[in-house]
Amino acid sequence: MTTTATGFFTDTSVCIGCKACEVACKQWNQLPADGDFFSGRSYDNTLHLEATTWRHVAFVERSQRLSGQSTVRPFSWLFLSDVCKHCRRAGCLEACPTGAIVRTEFESVYVQPDVCNGCGYCVVCCPFGVINRREDDGRAWKCTLCYDRQKAGMEPACAKACPTDSIRFGKLEELQQHARERLVELHRLGVKEAYLYGMTFEDQPGTEGLNAFFLLLDRPEAYNLPPRPAVPTKGAAGSWGIMTVAVAGMALAAVAAVGEGDKK
Amino acid sequence: MNLLRRKSITTGREMNPHTAVLTGEGAQQSIRQPQPDSGSKVELWRQVPSIPGKRQLDYYRLPLVKEPVWIWSVPLYFYVGGVAGGSALLAAAAHGRRSLRRIASWCRWFAFLGTTLGPALLTWDLGKMQRFFNMLRVLRPSSPMSIGSWSLAGTGMLATLTLVQGNSDNARPAALGAAAGGLMLSGYTGVLLGNTANPLWYGTRRTLPLLFTASAMASTAGLLEMLPLNGREEKVVKRFGMVGKIGEAACMVAMEREAAVNPQAAKALHEGKGGALWQGAKAMLAAGIVLSLIPVKSPWKRRVGGAVTTAGAICLRFALLEAGKEAAREPQATIEAQREIYDREGARRSSLG
Repeated sequence: MTTTATGFFTDTSVCIGCKACEVACKQWNQLPADGDFFSGRSYDNTLHLEATTWRHVAFVERSQRLSGQSTVRPFSWLFLSDVCKHCRRAGCLEACPTGAIVRTEFESVYVQPDVCNGCGYCVVCCPFGVINRREDDGRAWKCTLCYDRQKAGMEPACAKACPTDSIRFGKLEELQQHARERLVELHRLGVKEAYLYGMTFEDQPGTEGLNAFFLLLDRPEAYNLPPRPAVPTKGAAGSWGIMTVAVAGMALAAVAAVGEGDKK
Repeated sequence: MNLLRRKSITTGREMNPHTAVLTGEGAQQSIRQPQPDSGSKVELWRQVPSIPGKRQLDYYRLPLVKEPVWIWSVPLYFYVGGVAGGSALLAAAAHGRRSLRRIASWCRWFAFLGTTLGPALLTWDLGKMQRFFNMLRVLRPSSPMSIGSWSLAGTGMLATLTLVQGNSDNARPAALGAAAGGLMLSGYTGVLLGNTANPLWYGTRRTLPLLFTASAMASTAGLLEMLPLNGREEKVVKRFGMVGKIGEAACMVAMEREAAVNPQAAKALHEGKGGALWQGAKAMLAAGIVLSLIPVKSPWKRRVGGAVTTAGAICLRFALLEAGKEAAREPQATIEAQREIYDREGARRSSLG
């Protein structure tokens, strides 16, 4: 059944912060508007990924130079188009009690809107803070990696709209190959701070790698990405073990208490 | 006038229904009115955000993970489920004992009512209430909530059966089954909260199952203490409750210590709404313990002790939810816990390039 895994490689070194991806995503997926809102945080009025916002461009203003930069004042402006990471081990998918969240034939993580009953457990289980439940719609929503477009052999709307190819869509192996080449090229040009975020299992053992990975120029937390995310259900066995010990004690206490009260 | 205008906005999509068709992946998503900021209560910044010379340690202090969306009915269910679990267990332990017939019957009722009210409370929180039955659509062992849903449904059925069968010998298998399910109900909520990306809950995932189990015992005993008990029954409730109350107190102290490893997350247990509820729960639990330790035989002392313990146990559940929300709003709580491991791995990562 499985065809080839596809994903996004978001290269922040060429992102210009035009938000074409945000607009293309909203328009293609016919997502509701969020209203006019001025945040005062650089040019970022979207602020975070949301149930109605499946692409979000982060604007990082720093009072420091990028390597190779020769401005008088130390200043650099970093952009990142954030998206659902479609983790290879996904916290939302493993937490979903209804089976609404599934892995598609493209290895992406997809929420079936006709199954989701809005229990809200995926919201607290996503280590990236991507998925959310809408108050008035009642269901959880997030990026589908344009499942409908992929089915028709098209690339996702955001990647299609990106004017600098900062968002690249393709087969995972090809993307990884390209990302490695790009990293070597950047390092050769002197951009030593460039690194890949979450591309492989080794990069991010907590999620076993991301299908939508990034090339970053600052620490992950500067972009509001977790430095070392882990799928929370990975440690569930230990918690179940502790619970077993606890309830065994509880059962013993009940038997002892009843025995005490019954004898005379 | 304003109301009228609000009503006319239905989808938030500026589309002409005669020329455009809603077929996209997000087209089913309905909203009554566009919300300027629906995710979290983000405070507006009216001044220049960049702070010269300061290293950016997070993204404009915006939350990194989403805060829980659960409403009041979920923490209330945590209490009701705990009482149902403890009652099912006591009912099975006292099953067939003539001198404890009355308390066993009460416990069967509590187990039945708890497992009936519990699903209703959980359904009340669902975004799509009419789809509550989807909870039993699949069994996903990786999801504590899936396991919990099945346990709740199973325990509910067995508790009903036990209630119908009463104290007869034939009822023993059903009573034992309900007790096993009750043990699950008492503890699984701790596993459910502990295995999330929430910095406070994830940071205390070792003590949470213990805390919920101990508190389930204390809650059950607290409720029974408020009923008219005879000497034998009082003895059972007191022994069972004492283990639970002392255990709950110990677990609360242990949880504070476990949370203190990540000071940014632990703040939520001392400040704000969550902190107030947590401190309140502690105080009420302490009062409950003191009251049951006073060596005076008085039904009113017992009843007040039971009421205080019950209020403390409910308060504890709400404290955990509120503190979890508070911790999720603090980005450093999420980052701080991961930074150390990240930096340790830094050397290897930079050599990759």
